[in-house]
Amino acid sequence: MREIITIQVGGFANFIGSHFWNFQDELLGLAADSNNDPVFKNHFLNMDVLYRTGETPEGISTYTPRVVSIDYQGSLGSVCSHGTLYNQISPVPSPVFTWRGRLSTHRSEPHKKNLFLRCLDEEEHGASNDIDHEHTESQKELRDEDVIQCLENGVQFWTDFSKVHYHPQSLYELSGLWMDAQGFDNYGIGKDVFSEGLRGEAMSDRLRFFVEECDNIQGIQFVVDDSGGFSSVAADFLENIADDYSSTPVLLYAVRSPSSYMNSTTRKRTISRDLHDSISFSRLSSFCKLLVPVGLPLLSKSKASTYLCLDDQKPYHCSAVYAAALHSLSLPFRMELHGPTANLSCVSGSSDINSIIQMLSGQSRQNMVAILDAAMPAPCLIGSLAEQPLLSNLQPLTPEVAEEEDLQSLESLVIHGVLQSGGHQASVSEVEETISAAYGNAMPMPRFSHLSVALCPLPIPLPFPSIFNYAIGKRGELLGTPALDLPSKGSLDVSSIPMAVRLRNSSAVLPFLLNRLESLRSYGIRQGAPGADLLRSWGFGKDELEDIGEVLSNMVAALDPGSNLTSDSD
Amino acid sequence: MSLRVLNPNAEVLNKSAALHININAAKGLQDVLKTNLGPKGTIKMLVGGAGDIKLTKDGNTLLKEMQIQSPTAIMIARTAVAQDDISGDGTTSTVIFIGELMKQSERYIDEGMHPRVLVDGFEVAKRATLQFLEKFKTPVVMGDDPDKEILKMVARTTLRTKLYEALADQLTDIVVNAVLCIRRPQEPIDLFMVEIMHMRHKFDVDTKLIEGLVLDHGSRHPDMKRRAENCYILTCNVSLEYEKSEINAGFFYSNAEQREAMVAAERHSVDEKVKKIIELKNEVCAGTENNFVVINQKGIDPPSLDLLARAGIIALRRAKRRNMERLVLACGGEAVNSVDDLTPDCLGWAGLVYEHVLGEEKYTFVENVKNPYSCTILIKGPNDHTIAQIKDAVRDGLRAVKNTLEDEAVILGAGAFEVAARQHLISEVKKTVQGRAQLGVEAFADALLVIPKTLAENAGLDTQDVIISLTGEHDRGNVVGLNQHTGEPIDPQMEGIFDNYSVKRQIINSGPVIASQLLLVDEVIRAGRNMRKPS
Repeated sequence: MREIITIQVGGFANFIGSHFWNFQDELLGLAADSNNDPVFKNHFLNMDVLYRTGETPEGISTYTPRVVSIDYQGSLGSVCSHGTLYNQISPVPSPVFTWRGRLSTHRSEPHKKNLFLRCLDEEEHGASNDIDHEHTESQKELRDEDVIQCLENGVQFWTDFSKVHYHPQSLYELSGLWMDAQGFDNYGIGKDVFSEGLRGEAMSDRLRFFVEECDNIQGIQFVVDDSGGFSSVAADFLENIADDYSSTPVLLYAVRSPSSYMNSTTRKRTISRDLHDSISFSRLSSFCKLLVPVGLPLLSKSKASTYLCLDDQKPYHCSAVYAAALHSLSLPFRMELHGPTANLSCVSGSSDINSIIQMLSGQSRQNMVAILDAAMPAPCLIGSLAEQPLLSNLQPLTPEVAEEEDLQSLESLVIHGVLQSGGHQASVSEVEETISAAYGNAMPMPRFSHLSVALCPLPIPLPFPSIFNYAIGKRGELLGTPALDLPSKGSLDVSSIPMAVRLRNSSAVLPFLLNRLESLRSYGIRQGAPGADLLRSWGFGKDELEDIGEVLSNMVAALDPGSNLTSDSD
Repeated sequence: MSLRVLNPNAEVLNKSAALHININAAKGLQDVLKTNLGPKGTIKMLVGGAGDIKLTKDGNTLLKEMQIQSPTAIMIARTAVAQDDISGDGTTSTVIFIGELMKQSERYIDEGMHPRVLVDGFEVAKRATLQFLEKFKTPVVMGDDPDKEILKMVARTTLRTKLYEALADQLTDIVVNAVLCIRRPQEPIDLFMVEIMHMRHKFDVDTKLIEGLVLDHGSRHPDMKRRAENCYILTCNVSLEYEKSEINAGFFYSNAEQREAMVAAERHSVDEKVKKIIELKNEVCAGTENNFVVINQKGIDPPSLDLLARAGIIALRRAKRRNMERLVLACGGEAVNSVDDLTPDCLGWAGLVYEHVLGEEKYTFVENVKNPYSCTILIKGPNDHTIAQIKDAVRDGLRAVKNTLEDEAVILGAGAFEVAARQHLISEVKKTVQGRAQLGVEAFADALLVIPKTLAENAGLDTQDVIISLTGEHDRGNVVGLNQHTGEPIDPQMEGIFDNYSVKRQIINSGPVIASQLLLVDEVIRAGRNMRKPS
């Protein structure tokens, strides 16, 4: 077994996680239902890589994500942090066993469950309830529409659209911060959160619970909301992980919602913001093997969302796109390795976290920051090999990257569920041939590329937001040119989409690195820098900052040997 | 004012409004925590928005669960929580004391007194109270053979404010024995060497002290024994997993055989490590009935588990880092970082190792150990919130015992110290102060009385009667505290009610500092509030 543990730290990371696990849950559901498309029935993906099998004290077996999620207290909305699988919450509070004196009960206003969560509950408990048998298909559809409408308008917490049962060890809330999401917006503010009050201990214990079960852990995929204090919580957590599980590779996604870019109104805030970016990046990168920055400032206007209609203000929307990309990236990690050649027709290019990291970062050029590109949905393969839209449709989801191509780039490409121009499923070998031909014609050609292909497309679960352009068909095919004024489509109209994603190690990431180096130097290190006091309050002395600057400039130099920034010229 | 120019949206409150905001915030926080105090306090059940339950009588836990908005209240809360981090108790008292200092100040300030003068008085009173504390404390000698009765009384005083009497008394012995167990001559006490473990049990509220360790995991192989007697314990931090080395990334092989060979070589090196452990087992166990248990901080993969199981070894993987230390303290031997260093001397010993399974949760008990310098407190409770509350109480109890051992002193409880300190301030110290700062001393002295007052209030007694009878006794030279059942004065010494010296000291130290800061605030400026909707 090649278990992966997922760690989600911070608000937006958990939004992404919620969509991510919804996809997994949908895959599990589709595989269990025999009426479905054989592509879902036998996807040759090993779900045990991400899920664990357990048992409640009552002896009922459970299958839950192997995930540790960290967020603010109160960020779980109407969902209880212990989940409902292992202990049913009784409506009447149990008697107090430990105190004979007076008892006062303080109830917070109960969070009302939204229509979607109520429907889920009903389905679970009302399975035996046959009175509603009269409910016809049309009625159900009507209700589904209501559900989608209610999610579109009213998602507040990431749990509002989650259909997954979590293990009681999975959801950890940070208590005693006495801070709201707006105040918790820079690296310094989170610096003691991990170490204070045994919080770090509690997080590490939860992680250890999942690690101990693993026979042969392949790695940790770590998603952190990089827009505020959670960066430093994550950095401390990662440092701990690097100590305790030194040989377990960590693949880090530093994610950011579009709304987090919007609030730099004053110069003071801008400085704080830019310094946060530099410090957070350098701290996070020092404790993982490969870092993938994800999150565009204007996702809805970017090329990556040509076929999508997004609202940048809604984390529910934006996180769905990133979650889809993360899902696709995780496919090679769980493709079935063994078995006869029969499997080969469904999947190819199996890999593991360590191999991907080694391939992208461990070769001639020492660069551990990768760019994520995605095509959502991936276009159809078209007849002529010469001009495949597939490669050119891949658009970066990583901010601050250069357009120009790099001859030295290393790429790992994952394509799944793509269609032929006729609308039928393209086989694995067809995809492989087409892509290698496309690479042959590509200018410039990457130095090295790895391709993973799966037949199974991305299933669209009911709580997925309505973000598809009207021009997208039932199976994610493009029906025409994108039309702007027509209504967007959601999970009722689109059942699955083909996806193509790529991680690349390329010098195109230079602007990203240079910006961080530059703001650190001009706001933090330079004589009389305006942010020096701020950084001191975050716990960074001058020497430490110079070390950080050194590391950053080495990263730049590795990609751009010609740059003269490496010298300490002020 | 320049700030108003810079940011026209900033809301500036003038001095007196600012002061009243601070005073009200402090009083508000005091009101919330007040009912917690003492053995007659109210336990609070907090039901969250999603129906999750927290049960607490601990100020520290309660503060952390509260959503505090006011910056003043946050400042007080941080001080109080820091109080708990430093000395392990006294959160509630700190909040109440700060609140009362503010309340007393309000009276004088409303009469036109300048806060600065009050603050000067506080400073004098604080120093005098700390000196008085030194005189007032009851020294206890904690040599090699500490007075267990005193320790028990301190622990009982703390625990009875958190749990009902019978349960508190049961836990008293447990926490005292636990601390004495891990205590080693000439070394500071590390409370982390007491593991606190919990189990859910449907109807039972029960807590036990295990002289040895309880680990929250078990062996991961079906053929390993679930119970073994007379065990050698190998504590190690050695990876027994097949790990992909850096070069073994799959793409760098020219052919399949090469890859196979590489994999086999890697596997071989893991097997070699396992074999060394098996050799050691054979060396020490040959011809005897003794068993062999490996407890590893790193992973053990299934093939390695197989080899170990076939050799009759019980193996646990991914033990907590801290348990490595605890195991060595409990069982003897030493933690091994490489199989090359294996000798019989590295091994520890436990008379009994057995596994207990509850659903998917497994526990491994390591008992009858050689030299229990580490132990486990095992808490059983019917649900998570009950367990959490007992756990908090146990932590407080452990800290109280540790503090007593380190302070080598205790303070008479039940409000006796506060009444005595007030009397000292009023009758001795006030005279020595010039001018209006006297009033600051008086305010401080009156604020101290909030502790016995609140105790009386929570016990349903008439606070005025109680204070009069207590101060009356003190005037006659008798040091007395409050009997919470009758309201009569009692001798805390006779009743065995003792508080920690360091906790009291910390409260006296930090309370006035924060109160002074809050009193001296000139302006409250609310600026930079971003009205963006929370995402």
